[in-house]
Amino acid sequence: MKNNLSKTVVTAAILAGVALAQSPDGTTALSDRAAGRFLDQATWGPTPSAIAQLKQIGIAKWLYAQFAATPSDLPDQPELGADGKTNRDLMPVERAFFHNALAGDDQLRQRVAFALSQIWVVSVDSGVGDAYAYPHYWRIFRDNAFTNYRDIIKAVTLNPAMGRYLNMANNNKGNPKAGTAANENYARELLQLFTLGLVKLNPDGSPTTTPTYDQSVVTNLAKALTGWTYPTAPGATPKPNNPAYYAGQMFPVESNHDTSEKIIFDGQKLPAGQTAERDLEILLDALMANPTLAPFISQQLIEHLVTSNPSPYYIQRVSQVFSSTRGDMKAVLATILTDPEARAGDSGFVDRNFGHLREPILFMTGILRGLNATLGPATSVPSQAASMGEDLFHAPSVFSYFSPQYRTEKGLLGPEFQIYSTQTAATRADIVNTILYGKLDKDTTVDLSPFLKYAGGNTALLDYISSVFIDGSMSSDLHKAASDAINAATTPQRKVAGALYIVLTSGEYDIIH
Amino acid sequence: MFTRRGFIRVGAASVGSLALRPMGLLPALAANGPDYRALVCIFLYGGNDSNNTIVPVDDATYKEYMNIRGNLALTGSALTAPVTSVSGAPYAFHAKLAELSSLFGSKELAVVANVGSLVQPLTRADYLNHQAPVPSNLFSHSDQQLQWQTSIAQGHSPTGWAGRVADYVAKNNLNGSAFPAFVSLAGNNLQGTGAGTQPVAITPGRSLQLAGFDSSAESQARWKALNSLLTLDSGISLIQAADHTLANSIEDAKLLADALAKVTPLKTQFPKTALGAQLQQVAQIIQVRADLHMNRQIFFCSLGGFDTHTNEIATHNTLYPQLSQAMAAFYSATDELKVAQDVTTFTESDFSRTLQPTSGGGSDHAWGSHHLVAGGAVKGGQIYGKFPSFALGGPDDADTRGRWIPTTSVDQYGATLSSWFGIPDSELTNVFPNLVNFGATKKLGFLG
Repeated sequence: MKNNLSKTVVTAAILAGVALAQSPDGTTALSDRAAGRFLDQATWGPTPSAIAQLKQIGIAKWLYAQFAATPSDLPDQPELGADGKTNRDLMPVERAFFHNALAGDDQLRQRVAFALSQIWVVSVDSGVGDAYAYPHYWRIFRDNAFTNYRDIIKAVTLNPAMGRYLNMANNNKGNPKAGTAANENYARELLQLFTLGLVKLNPDGSPTTTPTYDQSVVTNLAKALTGWTYPTAPGATPKPNNPAYYAGQMFPVESNHDTSEKIIFDGQKLPAGQTAERDLEILLDALMANPTLAPFISQQLIEHLVTSNPSPYYIQRVSQVFSSTRGDMKAVLATILTDPEARAGDSGFVDRNFGHLREPILFMTGILRGLNATLGPATSVPSQAASMGEDLFHAPSVFSYFSPQYRTEKGLLGPEFQIYSTQTAATRADIVNTILYGKLDKDTTVDLSPFLKYAGGNTALLDYISSVFIDGSMSSDLHKAASDAINAATTPQRKVAGALYIVLTSGEYDIIH
Repeated sequence: MFTRRGFIRVGAASVGSLALRPMGLLPALAANGPDYRALVCIFLYGGNDSNNTIVPVDDATYKEYMNIRGNLALTGSALTAPVTSVSGAPYAFHAKLAELSSLFGSKELAVVANVGSLVQPLTRADYLNHQAPVPSNLFSHSDQQLQWQTSIAQGHSPTGWAGRVADYVAKNNLNGSAFPAFVSLAGNNLQGTGAGTQPVAITPGRSLQLAGFDSSAESQARWKALNSLLTLDSGISLIQAADHTLANSIEDAKLLADALAKVTPLKTQFPKTALGAQLQQVAQIIQVRADLHMNRQIFFCSLGGFDTHTNEIATHNTLYPQLSQAMAAFYSATDELKVAQDVTTFTESDFSRTLQPTSGGGSDHAWGSHHLVAGGAVKGGQIYGKFPSFALGGPDDADTRGRWIPTTSVDQYGATLSSWFGIPDSELTNVFPNLVNFGATKKLGFLG
């Protein structure tokens, strides 16, 4: 039943998108602009070949191909380093992440997994330092990017890295003799950040004045989530409070579970005497049944993929699909990406408040894909993103790199602007400068030869740059500024570098619109 | 067209003053009063458990503390030798805050007890019976951080309280250049955002000046092309926002680089920590304040990692030395620069934590928190405000775990700092709209 429903909705969403993406007479394929915009929303950045492929098969087939594409992987890491101590070297994982972003076929899966990982944060900072934990944790989002939101809630809740980060692992029931209470950390952030937020939302994402929960709910939910411990490491003897081990799932230890009756949000009762697993299953059902979940998650996914300021209608259309499919990710994603509001700009006119800032990791992948980059084993690309404020797997807190509620000075939502400061704006330009006029490092190579072919004429060169980086719709102002830079340069190499510098440091490139 | 300089020019014109101040023309204030004052905020992200920052060690209170704190209780050498406050009561700091305990002893550091966001004074009964307005989304990191930074306890505020102070500075031309009064060493935050002024964010040791430009014609043409785009309306709001930030960066970069070129090395050694680097950069900017034409500055630094739901003892043993050593070094640097009287450093944090521990050796989110204020102008060696009664479910507890209902508001704390900084009483309620709810005690007496 669920599968049938979901397939219908996916198909309907995709057909709606196809209809919109075609010209009014329905005969022509996607324009360069439409293809580029779509790929900016659904991948790590357009490339000439990706644009050509999308134009050839259209959005519907592209989505089905992406749903079926072989998932890329992050390499498992040893638990111990060469010195016999905890292996904290995450660089191989981070580099593989960027390698996958540049070269992997599963572009949509990776983008969605990355978005989910920014909602469900586990970080090295004040958190989990073991490098081997991260490929395991990442695979939750990779493997569930196209499944169901309930599966994601459950998988993360029982993941030992999250168990460590927000202290659900070895969270024993309160001990009156020792004067301790159940740890509230995971209970609170599960509600505030991962599922419902602070206030009840209407289906269109607009807030009500009713809090979703109060402190008593947090206290009770903390009790409900007691009694889980780390997986038992191979060869070790299971204990009621296992030491940290990050492969596999946490398991329940009933003697550490608080079996008192607990009332959680919306008056949902967890009766006395239940097991840890039973309490968790009822909680998962209650979360999925809560009408605030759909708009809360739908809006964040829209913000990550398409636009910082979606209209209430857009949010409502997506959250309606989320609700009716009970959290089917394929249906939700197809709706987000084919929604009329996402596609409206394909034909030229873009609403003034549409779009979002490329966060540093997207900024790097977009430029590197567009410049045909090759990453060697020692590439510095992860560190470049970190210097712009987005250090992969090192979010400063469970609140991630930036808040979905962050506003620009004019009052518009602009989550990514939280890490776009006078300093990081300058750093962005400096990284562009290094890529074009120097070299990021010996293991990061870009190939400007496709651009050099057009260096003989300003318009030809700028048309090509526009098709790669500006979805084929460079403004006349940007065209003129880049032309001025070209005209002042003397060699073909410097003409290309000058033009690319002006384009890649421009707001037109920074804001995906 | 809304570059920072343009914006300030409008403000200046409206009071009939000069847009670009000629060298040597100092604000009126300088003739009559101190010509420089700086506030330095250190935000302790994550919610510092201030129950273990400073502990009352008179027998009766310490016994209550020991009864509730369980495995988080500080005893013996985990505490400094007791210090006696001006009022005569004995307190001990966390042993890893030894340098701050010394500053307290030499009366250069004060403690303000149980401060937090409030709409109005609040009793336990009123809180439990919903008889009085309370701050939105209590116990949430993000909300309580914003409430500390904005001093607005309910709803969304587009400006921070220090940003509103910076607005006052700009409107009254207290500074002699367009360089922002608010400088963040810890990224963007709402604290320094004003209605008409924008902060500058810098990373210690990094320049804002864009790399790759020289005096060649090619380079100059590219520079001109880059800048030409920053003032155009592209038709997309977020492009304007990004352009505005880069324009501000370019504008501030040159002023800052020219001034910092004049820095001479300080004798004071700063610890090699992130907070040490931030405060060292602050000291350097203060050193070249005349080159920047600054008379009033606010700095924002931060130290994270205080969300100690577990493993709190070990985490404090790592973080507190960083805080203590960096703050002490910074105080020494202000002394070396002969501005100790003109610079006040203060802490902020999301909230304090439950006095009752969690099962994993930590504590959960709470509310009112003790804060530190240091500087030559501080009337130190004293506890301001009121320590909570250490009783679970007692008169200061919001529930049963020792989540202290604040007895001093962020508004009062900020108003005391701002008043010393130069905000006249008549303007204080513009900066702190809720201050009127706190009766006669608008300032706490630890400064001025």
